[in-house]
Amino acid sequence: MHYPWWYVPQATAPMLIAAISVIHVLISHYAVGGGLFLAVETTHAYRTENRDYLAYLKRHSRFFVLLTIVMGAITGVGIWWTIGLASPLATQVLIRTFVFGWAIEYVFFLLEIVSAFVFYYYWDRLPRRVHLASVWIYGLSAWASLVIIAAITAFMLDPGTWPVNRCFWAALMNRQSLPQIVARTGGSLLLSSLYVYLHAAITIRDQKVHSLVESRATRPALAGILMVAAGGALWFVNLPGSAQSALIAAPVLNVFMGLLFLTAGIVVFLLFLGPCLNPGWTAGPGFAASLFLFGIIAFSTGEFIREAVRKPYILYNVVLGNQIFPEEVARFREKGYLQSGVWTRAYVVKSHPEAIINGRVDTKKLLDLPREERTRIGGVIFQHHCNDCHATSLGYAPVAPLVQGWSPRMIRSLVTDLEHVRFTMPPWSGNDDEAELLTDYLTSIAPARPAGMLPEKIQK
Amino acid sequence: MTPNTLIDTSSSIGLPAPVWFIELFKALGFTLHQVPMHLWYAGIVLAMLLSVFGCEHGRRCSGRLMVQMPIIVALGVNFGIVPLLFIQVGFAPLFYPATILMAWFWLSIIVLMIPAYYGVYVYAFGLAEESPMAVWKRAAGWVSALFFLVMGFLFTNGLSLMENVGGWMELWHKQSIHGAVLGLGLNVADLRLWPRWLLTFGLALTTTGAWIAVDSSWFARRETYEYRAWAKRFAWRVYTFGVFWFLLAGSWYVFGTWSEELKQEMFGRSWGVLTGLTIMAPAGPWLLLWGVGRQQDDIGKSRAAFIGLAQFVVLGLYAANRQLVQHLTIRPYYDLTAQPTTVQWSPLVAFLVTFVLGLGVIGWLLRELARLPAEGKSEAA
Repeated sequence: MHYPWWYVPQATAPMLIAAISVIHVLISHYAVGGGLFLAVETTHAYRTENRDYLAYLKRHSRFFVLLTIVMGAITGVGIWWTIGLASPLATQVLIRTFVFGWAIEYVFFLLEIVSAFVFYYYWDRLPRRVHLASVWIYGLSAWASLVIIAAITAFMLDPGTWPVNRCFWAALMNRQSLPQIVARTGGSLLLSSLYVYLHAAITIRDQKVHSLVESRATRPALAGILMVAAGGALWFVNLPGSAQSALIAAPVLNVFMGLLFLTAGIVVFLLFLGPCLNPGWTAGPGFAASLFLFGIIAFSTGEFIREAVRKPYILYNVVLGNQIFPEEVARFREKGYLQSGVWTRAYVVKSHPEAIINGRVDTKKLLDLPREERTRIGGVIFQHHCNDCHATSLGYAPVAPLVQGWSPRMIRSLVTDLEHVRFTMPPWSGNDDEAELLTDYLTSIAPARPAGMLPEKIQK
Repeated sequence: MTPNTLIDTSSSIGLPAPVWFIELFKALGFTLHQVPMHLWYAGIVLAMLLSVFGCEHGRRCSGRLMVQMPIIVALGVNFGIVPLLFIQVGFAPLFYPATILMAWFWLSIIVLMIPAYYGVYVYAFGLAEESPMAVWKRAAGWVSALFFLVMGFLFTNGLSLMENVGGWMELWHKQSIHGAVLGLGLNVADLRLWPRWLLTFGLALTTTGAWIAVDSSWFARRETYEYRAWAKRFAWRVYTFGVFWFLLAGSWYVFGTWSEELKQEMFGRSWGVLTGLTIMAPAGPWLLLWGVGRQQDDIGKSRAAFIGLAQFVVLGLYAANRQLVQHLTIRPYYDLTAQPTTVQWSPLVAFLVTFVLGLGVIGWLLRELARLPAEGKSEAA
C-alpha cells in the first residue's frame, strides 16, 4: 500500500465511487446527447421557422443548463474527488498517464460551458448563424469530451500495449475504446430522448408541439439503441478472458446482466409500443416516467457491470484491487506486506516497536504477541489488503459471512491461495506469518456455523 | 519515526511533463481560478449584506453581483480543475494522504457545492422574476454564502494539511481503526490554517472590489450615472477594507507561523523581491481605484480594464508566492524537481494545439457578443 486506506463502514470506500458515478453518468450522457439533440433540433426549428418548437427548445435549454452545467459538472468533479480518496494509486497512474488527455478534455469542457451560456442566455439576441454555431460548438465539444473520457475508462479495462511501451497514444487507442465510444454515444442519444419525453410530458400542453417533439426525439432514440447494441457486442467480444468469465461466473453479475437485458428490453418495447405504434402516449407523464425509469435502471446496471468485470484489478494488469502494482506482489511476499506498505509499516513502528529489528518489521515477533494483539494486526492487514472489496461483517460483500463456520485451517488455506480460489481476487501479497495474523483476525470475526444443520448431526 | 516515512516516492511512473510546465500551469490555473473563486467567496457574502443593509445603489450592486454569480461559479469550478489536475500530477504523494486523512470533510465539499450552486441560481432567478423575492429564495442566497465560506475553510484545511506532514501521524492515530483512516481529521491544530483562510478572504474582498469597478464600467451601461459614480467609490472602500484584512491576516501568517528558515528564504536575496512585490502589489489597484474615485467623470472602459489587469497581476504574484512557500515548506519531505520525468511530448503538443484552437473559438464567440448592440446585451453576461 502506497497510500493510507480510508475505512468506510459497511459500504467500503470504492462503493462511494459507484454511488457518485451512477448519478454522474445519468447526467453527463444527457449532457452529450441532449447537446446534440438541441443542435439538430434548433437547426431544424430555424429552418422550418417553427416558433412554437423554438419556444419549447428554449425552455428545454434552461432545464438542460440547470441540470448539466451544475449537477453534471459538480458530480464529474465529485468522481475525481472520490477516486483520489478511495483509489489513490490508480488515480495517480491515470492522472500521470493521461494528464494531457484530461487537459484536452478540459479545453472541451471550457468550450461547453462558454457555448452553453452563450446559447441559452443570448437566445433571441444573437444572429441565427451565431446562435446555431454556439449550440453546435457545445454539442461537438461535449461529444469530444465523451470520446476522451470513454477512451480513458476503456484503458481501465484494457491497457493495450501501455504496460510495455508506456505510450500515451497506445493507452488511449486500446481495444475497448471504440466499443465504448460507440456504446456511450448511442447511450447518450437514447438517454437524451428519454429526458426529452419526460420533460415534454410535464411542460408541453399543446398537442401539436408535443407530437413534433415526440417524433423528433424518437429518431435519436432508435439510432441510440442500434449503437448501444453494436457497441455492447463489440465491448463483449473485446473483453479480456477473465472479464468474460466473471460475467458468467459471478452470481451478482449474472443477476445484473439479467436486469440489464430485462430493463433494456422493456425500454425498447415501450419505445416500440409508444412513440412508434401509438404516437401521443409519451404525452402522459406516467408513460414517459416509466420509460425514463427503466432507461436509468438499464444505464446504471450497465455501468456497474462495466466496473465490476475488471476484478481483481482497478486498472487491468496495472493496479490490483488491493492498491499495489502486480509486479510488486513478489517483493511484498518476500519482504512482508506490513513492511512493504508505507502506512502499514508506520503502524507497526508506532504500535509495536519491539517488532522492528534493524529497521524492518520482523513478523515472527508479531506472532509471539498475545492473541488479542495478533488479531489487531491481522485487522490491519485485512483493512489494507481486503477492505477494497469486502466490508467486515455487514455491508458490501462482507467477509465474515463468507467464512462462516470455517476452521482456521480452511481460512488460512484461502488466504494464501486467494487468486486460485477465486480468479477475481488479487494474489495474496504477504508472507506466511502475515497469513497467520490475517487468519487470526478472520477467525475472530467469522460467525459460528448455524446450529441444527445435518453435517453437524452426521459428525456427531 | 520521521514524517518522511509516511510519504511514498516509489512511483514507477515518472512525471509526464517538465517540472516548469507543471508549475506554470498550476500557477496560471490557480491565478485564473482565484478571480471567480474570490467573487463567490467574498462577493456572495457582500451581496447578501448589501441586500439587507445597503442603500438603493447598494441593493442594485448586490443584485448585479448575484445575477452574474451562476456564470461566475461555473467558470470558477472550471478554472479550478487546472490547478487541481497539476497538483495531483506533481504532488500526489502529499496531496492524496492529506485529503484521505480528512476524507469525509474533503468529500463534503462536493456535497456542499451542489446546494450552494443551485442556491445561487435560485436567488438569481428570484431577482429576475419576482419583486419582492420569496423568503425561501432569499434564504437560498444566505445558505450559498455560508456554504461557500465553509468550503473555503475545508479547502484551506486540505491544502494546509498537505504541507503539514509533521501533523499527519497524530491525526492518523486519533482517527483510525486497524490502521485504516476514518477520514474525520481536520488540520485545525496547525496554526497556519487560520491566517491562511482569513488572508484568502481579505484577498477575495479586494478582487470583489476590483470587479465592482470593472462591472460598473463594462457591463452596467444601462445603470444610472449615479449608480456608476457610487459603484466606483464603493469599489474603493471594499478594496481598502480587503487590503487591511489581507495585511493583518498576512502578517499573522508570515510573522506568527512561518519558521525562521522560511522567513529567511522568502525575505532574503533569493525571493525577497517576489515577496515584496506580492505584499505591495495590492497598492496598485488600490491607488487606481482611489484615483478614479476622486474624479468626477466615469471610470471609463480602459481604466477599468487597467484596474482589472492590475488585480490580475496581484493574484498572479500571490499564486507564484503561494507556490514558492508550498515548495519550501514541503522540501524536507518531497522534492518535485528530483522526481523522474518522462515527458509525453506529442500529447503535450496536442494539448497546446487544442488549447490555442479552443481559445480561438471562445474568442470568436466573445467577439460576436461584443458586436451585439448595447441594448441587446444580456445583463447576465
